[in-house]
Amino acid sequence: MDLEVLIENVLNALAAGITIGCIYGLMCIGLGLIFGIMKIVNFAQGELLMLGMFSSLYLVTGGGILAFMGPYIGPFVGALLAGPIVFAGGCLLHKFLIARVSGLRTAGSLDEGHFGQLIVTLGISLILQNGGLILFGSSPMTVRTPLASSAIEVGPIYGDATVFLNKARMISCAIAIIVAVSLYLVLEYTRMGKALRAAADNPTAATYMGIDTDKVYRLAFGLGCGITAIAGGLMATYLSFGPFVGLDYVIIMYSGVVLGGMGSILGAFWGGLTVGFVQQCSALILPPQLQNAAIFVVFLLIVLLRPQGLFGRSAERA
Amino acid sequence: MTDLSRRSTVGLGLAAGAAALSSRRARAQTPSEVKIAMLVPLSGPWARQGILEQMGARLAIEDINAAGGIKSMGGARMKLIEYDTQDSSEKAKDAAQRMVAQEPDLVGGFGCWLSSFTLAATEVTERVSLPWLTLSYSDAITGRGFKHVFQSSPTADKQADELLPMIVELAGRARSGWKPTKFAYIGDNTASSVSFMKSIRGPAAAALGLTLVADEVYTPPLSDATTMIQHIRSTKPDFLGFQSTNVPDDKLLVDKFAEFNLKSDKLPKIGGGGHWAVPELLNVAGAENLEGILVALANWPGKRQADLEKRFMAKTGEPWFGHDSIFAYVHVMILKEALERTGVADRVKVSEAIHALDMTDGPALFFPDGTLKYDEKGRRVGAKLCVVQWRKGKPVPVYPPSIATSEVIWPKI
Repeated sequence: MDLEVLIENVLNALAAGITIGCIYGLMCIGLGLIFGIMKIVNFAQGELLMLGMFSSLYLVTGGGILAFMGPYIGPFVGALLAGPIVFAGGCLLHKFLIARVSGLRTAGSLDEGHFGQLIVTLGISLILQNGGLILFGSSPMTVRTPLASSAIEVGPIYGDATVFLNKARMISCAIAIIVAVSLYLVLEYTRMGKALRAAADNPTAATYMGIDTDKVYRLAFGLGCGITAIAGGLMATYLSFGPFVGLDYVIIMYSGVVLGGMGSILGAFWGGLTVGFVQQCSALILPPQLQNAAIFVVFLLIVLLRPQGLFGRSAERA
Repeated sequence: MTDLSRRSTVGLGLAAGAAALSSRRARAQTPSEVKIAMLVPLSGPWARQGILEQMGARLAIEDINAAGGIKSMGGARMKLIEYDTQDSSEKAKDAAQRMVAQEPDLVGGFGCWLSSFTLAATEVTERVSLPWLTLSYSDAITGRGFKHVFQSSPTADKQADELLPMIVELAGRARSGWKPTKFAYIGDNTASSVSFMKSIRGPAAAALGLTLVADEVYTPPLSDATTMIQHIRSTKPDFLGFQSTNVPDDKLLVDKFAEFNLKSDKLPKIGGGGHWAVPELLNVAGAENLEGILVALANWPGKRQADLEKRFMAKTGEPWFGHDSIFAYVHVMILKEALERTGVADRVKVSEAIHALDMTDGPALFFPDGTLKYDEKGRRVGAKLCVVQWRKGKPVPVYPPSIATSEVIWPKI
């Protein structure tokens, strides 16, 4: 392979890895809040991603609410608005189902509610998948934007080597970073964020300090759902999806959260970014069919060498 | 009562009993309706393909019954019994078991679209000697020595053998004798694609003077294709083949090639399989990015079915009558033809009648080659690939000439 082709291949893989990684990062933050901080094993996280995709689709095309914004701005506004919709759904889900198998109700129990959480969230996942099939049908959908198949061409950089930056992914990547940084600032510097971290660290002590832990948990669960839904909405601009799409991403989410470091929101983002990066760049040296295997090789290596996660400390909170 | 009258009464009674018995037997032989089964995915990720088959089959049943049913059986009406394979081979097999247990008077059936589902379901249908027609491609379906399974498509191996010479022929015809020398392939690692690619990588390419310059295999579902497309771009092939197996991956690949300025006006492309010519691909990928892509598949309605296509579109609201729907339509018609020939609702005789078919009219005209005959394995003799090309948001048949409504367009690069 000549140098020109090598440079082009490496730069395009790096660009794809970073843009996809940032969107994965946002997706992982959602699970990071629920699994990493609240320690709830949520098998329905993939279906929340799916709900984000469909919410965005119906906002942009179904109801025509955002049709006036056109195919360039509408899909991204739709993705952002999918967040509050799924946030509300997540809060209700927590109030009526998840709260019964988590938080203070299970504090001190032998399994800390994990068995109950497992069954409840698996049930929610199956209901959402099959409910989605009834409501949305089985045909693949997408939030159509011409930006998904056009690129900003950078170069030629060396000889004819050119880097293609997909426009839809670049915008999605920028939105993902903005949302992730905003969430970090809210959790780090606001009263609500401190209450959330306190309730996550020690719910009993937080209750004695006057924090309504049930309310805080509901908020955290809703936020986790909403953030994942925004990531889903962003992915819907360049991927096609159906009611079962969540199954393809739930493993990536869990590996991103564990890779980044349990309990750390920033770690979850970096974990997701690493997963995307490894997935894309591994194809430079390995056959593309081993892309997902490469993620798990890196995952196992990190678990072996740094069990607390790549970017986390064992006692760190966001 | 006299002796005579007593004898008469007994005689009349016996005659009446005999008449009643013979009438009951006659009713059993010529039932008022004959049941056939359709076992396809009606839920799960492949439901759309099953629904397209369902539309074609229902139209065929309506056409048959509107034309007077099965004439050799006193105008018996045909009834379609529908079963759902759902989303896995295990569930497809369970559905087949339920089907044969709940409907013991079935005389035949068709399905299940996905080869792995068909392989599982035909293990059940074969045990009860139920004649089963399928559009599935895998060679294994009719490679197990089963007597009652009939495969109407060219098998996967046959498709792979036919494809490269056909592409070279089409390119030569469209560009007056020009011959491609380099090609690339991108496909997933599912069973049918692996089997297909084995033949493509074999001596067939070398015999045609073709070199495979990029051979990209991925594990579905595809989350991104940048590195693979970049590699293909750097090898500058004369044409590209797709061996993906689902619409989401097709959309992502088509988008990515457009992003890298490699639409079909710069790099001719040929996709394999019915999913490359379905309306939902148009919905997710858009007409502009699909323009010019060739699709090789096992059947497509041509100019002979223009009226039928219009009726199908008017009835279903679908934008065209495609691969999955025409196969379901013709399979119902083949079962009807077999019933006309046997005149009885007996599944073994129906199976024998299908084996004995050798037609160039009737249901045979729904195949591009215009023939209908199955060999001893149950494979349709003369089954050939046909090609459609995306033009302004619609697949247009371009090969073979028997179905073509337009000439193939090959870009002059």
